[in-house]
Amino acid sequence: MDSQCVSILPRVCGVLLVSGSSLPDDTSLEKLLDWFTTIAQTGTSLLEACPCLVDFVSKVAFDYTSGSSILSFTLKLTGLIGASEDGFKVLKECSVLKLVFNPQHWQEAGLWEDPCLRIGWIQGLKMILKHSEALSFFAQADLIEPLLQLQTDSSLFVASAANQTLAQVLVLCQSPSSVGHNGSKNRDLEHNSLSMESTQNYSGIITKVSDYLNKSVVLKEISQLPGSQQILRLLAMLLVRVGPPLRDTLLLAVINSLEELVSTSCSQLTVPLLDVILAANSGLRDDCVPKQRLIRLLWVMLNMKKPVDVMQAAAAVLRSHQSDPALSAHSARVLLLPLDIVTGVSLLDENSTEEELRILITEQLKRKSCISMICLCLSNIPQITLMASDCLPCPQRLIVTAILLLLRLCCVDSSSSSAGCVEVVRFITGNSKVQKCALEALLVLSKSPGVKMVLVEVFKVLTEYLNSHSSDPSVLQKSYQAVIKWVGVCPDLSCITDQLREGFIQAVRKRACDTRWEARDSTVEFLGHLVGAPSCWAFTEQEMEPSDVLLGGRSFTVPLLKEALQDPESYVRASSISALAQTLTPSWQDGTALTQEQEDIVTQLQEVLFQDSEGFARRAAVKYFIAWFSACSSPSSCWLLMQSVPTVLSQGVADLDWEVKLHTLELAELVLDRAFSDPSPSHPYAVMSDQDHRLPIAGQQSDLLSSLKNLVDWGVVSALLCGVVDCDRPVALKACQLLLKLRGIVCPVMDNTADTRVFCQLAGASMMQQVRKIQEMGKDTCVVSEACSEADKEGICASVDPECVSVCEVLRVLDLDEKLSILTQSSDHIYNSPLSLLQDILTAAAASSPPGQDPRQELVMDCY
Amino acid sequence: MPEIKVTPLGAGQDVGRSCILVSIGGKNIMLDCGMHMGYNDDRRFPDFSYITQNGRLTDFLDCVIISHFHLDHCGALPYMSEMVGYDGPIYMTHPTKAICPILLEDFRKITVDKKGETNFFTSQMIKDCMKKVIPLNLHQTVQVDDELEIKAYYAGHVLGAAMVHIKVGSESVVYTVSVNKFALCHSGAAWIDKCRPDILISESTYATTIRDSKRCRERDFLKKVHETIERGGKVLIPVFALGRAQELCILLETFWERMNLKAPIYFSTGLTEKANHYYKLFITWTNQKIRKTFVQRNMFEFKHIKAFDRSYADNPGPMVVFATPGMLHAGQSLQIFKKWAGNDKNMVIMPGYCVQGTIGHKILNGQRKLEMEGRSTLDVKLQVEYMSFSAHADAKGIMQLIRMAEPRNMLLVHGEAAKMEFLKGKIEQEFNCYTPANGETVAVTTNPSVPVDISLNLLKREMALGGPLPDPKKPRTMHGTLIMKENLVSSEQALKELGLNEHQLRFTCRVQLQDPHSDSDTLHRIYTHLKSVLKDYTIQHLPDGTVMVESIVIKVSSSAEDANAKVLLLSWSYQDEDLGSYLSSLLKKGLPT
Repeated sequence: MDSQCVSILPRVCGVLLVSGSSLPDDTSLEKLLDWFTTIAQTGTSLLEACPCLVDFVSKVAFDYTSGSSILSFTLKLTGLIGASEDGFKVLKECSVLKLVFNPQHWQEAGLWEDPCLRIGWIQGLKMILKHSEALSFFAQADLIEPLLQLQTDSSLFVASAANQTLAQVLVLCQSPSSVGHNGSKNRDLEHNSLSMESTQNYSGIITKVSDYLNKSVVLKEISQLPGSQQILRLLAMLLVRVGPPLRDTLLLAVINSLEELVSTSCSQLTVPLLDVILAANSGLRDDCVPKQRLIRLLWVMLNMKKPVDVMQAAAAVLRSHQSDPALSAHSARVLLLPLDIVTGVSLLDENSTEEELRILITEQLKRKSCISMICLCLSNIPQITLMASDCLPCPQRLIVTAILLLLRLCCVDSSSSSAGCVEVVRFITGNSKVQKCALEALLVLSKSPGVKMVLVEVFKVLTEYLNSHSSDPSVLQKSYQAVIKWVGVCPDLSCITDQLREGFIQAVRKRACDTRWEARDSTVEFLGHLVGAPSCWAFTEQEMEPSDVLLGGRSFTVPLLKEALQDPESYVRASSISALAQTLTPSWQDGTALTQEQEDIVTQLQEVLFQDSEGFARRAAVKYFIAWFSACSSPSSCWLLMQSVPTVLSQGVADLDWEVKLHTLELAELVLDRAFSDPSPSHPYAVMSDQDHRLPIAGQQSDLLSSLKNLVDWGVVSALLCGVVDCDRPVALKACQLLLKLRGIVCPVMDNTADTRVFCQLAGASMMQQVRKIQEMGKDTCVVSEACSEADKEGICASVDPECVSVCEVLRVLDLDEKLSILTQSSDHIYNSPLSLLQDILTAAAASSPPGQDPRQELVMDCY
Repeated sequence: MPEIKVTPLGAGQDVGRSCILVSIGGKNIMLDCGMHMGYNDDRRFPDFSYITQNGRLTDFLDCVIISHFHLDHCGALPYMSEMVGYDGPIYMTHPTKAICPILLEDFRKITVDKKGETNFFTSQMIKDCMKKVIPLNLHQTVQVDDELEIKAYYAGHVLGAAMVHIKVGSESVVYTVSVNKFALCHSGAAWIDKCRPDILISESTYATTIRDSKRCRERDFLKKVHETIERGGKVLIPVFALGRAQELCILLETFWERMNLKAPIYFSTGLTEKANHYYKLFITWTNQKIRKTFVQRNMFEFKHIKAFDRSYADNPGPMVVFATPGMLHAGQSLQIFKKWAGNDKNMVIMPGYCVQGTIGHKILNGQRKLEMEGRSTLDVKLQVEYMSFSAHADAKGIMQLIRMAEPRNMLLVHGEAAKMEFLKGKIEQEFNCYTPANGETVAVTTNPSVPVDISLNLLKREMALGGPLPDPKKPRTMHGTLIMKENLVSSEQALKELGLNEHQLRFTCRVQLQDPHSDSDTLHRIYTHLKSVLKDYTIQHLPDGTVMVESIVIKVSSSAEDANAKVLLLSWSYQDEDLGSYLSSLLKKGLPT
């Protein structure tokens, strides 16, 4: 640990004692605790590292006039110190432990009411419970009583932390041999396993917990509902974390109460109760008695009176992936019932046991609440598709048919009618919640076996949605996603007729000029994503791109995307640029000759780079050139690309947005790599290491020289030199790494005569200043003008330019290694250091004056 | 009894990371989804696992409502919707929807700049999140579903800030941001209907302060800038892309114009162009003063404020520079600060909150020697000033709002515990007031009123009795019959469901006629007469001295004074009401001779 921190810490503790809760920053105490935790985690004794902490803790504990945030902090800190056995011993010796963790102490002081203090107490206790000594202390001080009381605390945060702590206590209490049996191995306990003897001493704790759970699970009156829910959540967690035999003990203690609770059929408890039963069920052998009782309970819950409760139960059973096939099959049937009833598609065969439920659900579907029921059904379709086919109540193709009919019923513009429950239609028509859920389900079902034959129907419905004037933008987005998904899994698109395609094209065109930017953006994004979909078979029985089959290819998409480049919304402009790059990539890869259209696009993109006020669009423009350069097998032979690169580099590196600058440097890196790569590398996109770049000196110098000149001409070197002095760290870091790469390639090979033949412009004042500074330091006196005039003599540099420098010389004189080491650290690494934190607390305390007189106190609240 | 539950996951007795859950009429709503900028790990976002442990927020939440574009109110939105997973509706006003992504993008760029930053949303996620947003118009009721409706009101905090009235049936909640009656120069004053919500949830950031006037703070700011410029110094104002930057630009531009100052003012960020564009676009959302001025001159098109190039920082002479980021921890603002820090003629004005660990935080706390990268030390000689232009409500503003909305209960959030206690004391003189800590649930029992249509006749009758005119403020008892019309069921089913016994209701009527015969003869004459008139009906002359026509019973008795005057007693069930009326009128005409 930093010795400076150690020397400051006592003063900081003094400040905390005095200033109470009036620290100017509410995060300081949490960050301080983070720092102590880090020290403790490295294995260093916290007390050895910071001996003043015990004194601090004692003072706060005995004189509790500090504010609640300091008290809470102190309780947590005590827990942290006591987490190690030596720290625990020290705290015990100075009687702090007993005082700090005695709730009575805080109750008498009238502080226990503050949830901030209770959360400190519970978290401190949780931290300390890492070893047997702590557990003995816990048992002797009878802390289980207050801990149990906090399980249903009025504060959600306190109750949740209390649940976690109780689980930890029980894990500690269980026999070491059983730890980890249920996958709940506790890392700390591996080092602190308890002896059997001590385990027996904790049976009192286990009994109290069992009694408490048994007593609390039963719902006596409706006002206790929140408490009951919390207890069920606790029980579910305990049954997952605790291993046998303790787990069995707990289960046996509560199972009667659970049965009683199930019989009350309280809707609000359905989900937490199911979580408990399923958690209990998951770890049991099939032949044990509790298992049979639990399965029976599940059946009872699947046959409750209220249809929504039954459906919730069925959904939970499916989500838990439990092993009983009869339960799963029944749950699937229950969940599919609403879809069956609404659409009239017979998903389920006649089953008299479900007749009553069918009647109840039908009644429910005639009310406003039908929406949540249908959504519950649809959102569980993914679970149903995961089931074994013999458990499924019907082929998945039928489910798709039903969903398509449901989607039609929901669509405002559709004239479809249902053979099922007619009353529901008025509620679901135009309801975007149902539409989205149904489209999500349709997305999942695209992978189902045997569904490809309904592709035409799917396509028709999705086209209807895209065409509908009333479709919500988020529904449109999901419809597009569904098209991509279905096209992606159906290699045979020969069923898409001209008429279908025409309808689809019209819909897409309509959405591309929707008044809502969200719809336009999703359309443009879709055009790009469609290019990435795998090839398919078209009606001509030829292998084609889906984009060609569905939209007629680039002749349709490119003009549409070009138009979107002028969109008033920057998100749409950026998406159209990305989509254009995706659309044109295949032709770049093939080396197809450039068209006038592409030349126009380049001009437009350069305008975006120069004029667009939005970072999104400019970023996308630079990425377009990156994609082009990467896709091109021989960029140097593509005149338009190589002509554009210098403009993009010079403009991009001077952008206001650091991400534009960073992408520009990524382009520079591509150009740099290509410039020095082997003319015929084994793979055109192979990553080149620095070693690969080091060409043999003899005979290669001239090649290197010409490559370097090219880099200068393309503006790569200027961009890098500009980037390395950028005020945004990621930009400077990237530029520095690239300059080092360049230095690694060029400098070892170039001799003194050669390297003064390549010059570059120094862009910007900062770079000039740096080089001049180095000159002044006497490191080199002939880097700049002299070199230039020398070059001038040789006719390389046309005019004497004070900003013109020798590249190799600059690479040598700039201390790039030092720069890299600074930049590699985070831009705020110093300010996030513990020392900075401690200094901030001290200076803040010194600066603060009595409340009401300091205008800076508003700082705390003046958020953004 | 039904109840409304409110649980703050953030902003309960503290400031920052606003996230409040409201359960009303079976609907779950999240109010704001903010982030805490002081942390760089999971703690910066609310812990959504408290809402639902299976991570399916869409199943649980009916909607999310964002009050305004500040990051402590919307910063966690893309994390929640795209990383945790929420697919439901998100509501915010048009200007908030336009400006919110700029700030999120701005903060993302600052955050991912730091090394080792993970678990943070991307640009694409911000966009996908914004696509889920449904924009709100002021005073327009939006139906989230069949039962839940929301309505936005002007809040006057920052551009696009809104108060939201949430209603399910007869239960309602109003959530309001830091409403400021004395709103900033670009925002109009707050206004809301007298909607009498069950709970009014309000921020209480400046609960104890009766703040000095905005004009004073502006004057102070201009004076400090002017003094520095006059002595040839440079002024650096680190800002975020939006919010303060626009306010201060308007101030300086106007001041430069008035004082005919020549020193250049520069703006170093490109993002601001878009921000200014939105301020122009949403001019109708600003206050009247700005709208009026806008007619003469577009106050967002600056004459004196020019774009900055980093080489200008080395120019001699005075200048004012607005640079990002606002906390002096990276980028352009930090670079300029390093250049200018050594000169005591210069000044840096911090107009906003600075996270611990940033240079902004350090210099505001008075640190004068800063250890910079590369182990060099920077001596801070320039003047450091803090100016709060935050447009939060003070105690007075909140009290005014409460009187305006007349809530049944008040709940304070987004303020420090101790200071909230002060305001709570004031409010409790008139209303119930709650200040839950984070994670604590406040449950307020509601007394849902069932709206009923009253017949005009009943109202007229009440008025005829001379009582006062109906007044919604003064409840009074009225007698009448409540007719439920929702579902029509058979009477047998209704009786069964309600567990009631069936009672027969019979109508009776007396008819007098002159008939000089004995009672039995008169009854027989009636029987014969009815037999001839009502051919299709079942008519019986029963031995007990009655005639029955369907369910109608007819008896005859003589008057004590006059034996010829007969009194006919008719009784019938409601099923035969028409027939009964007919018979009574028929018999009134007398019997055929």
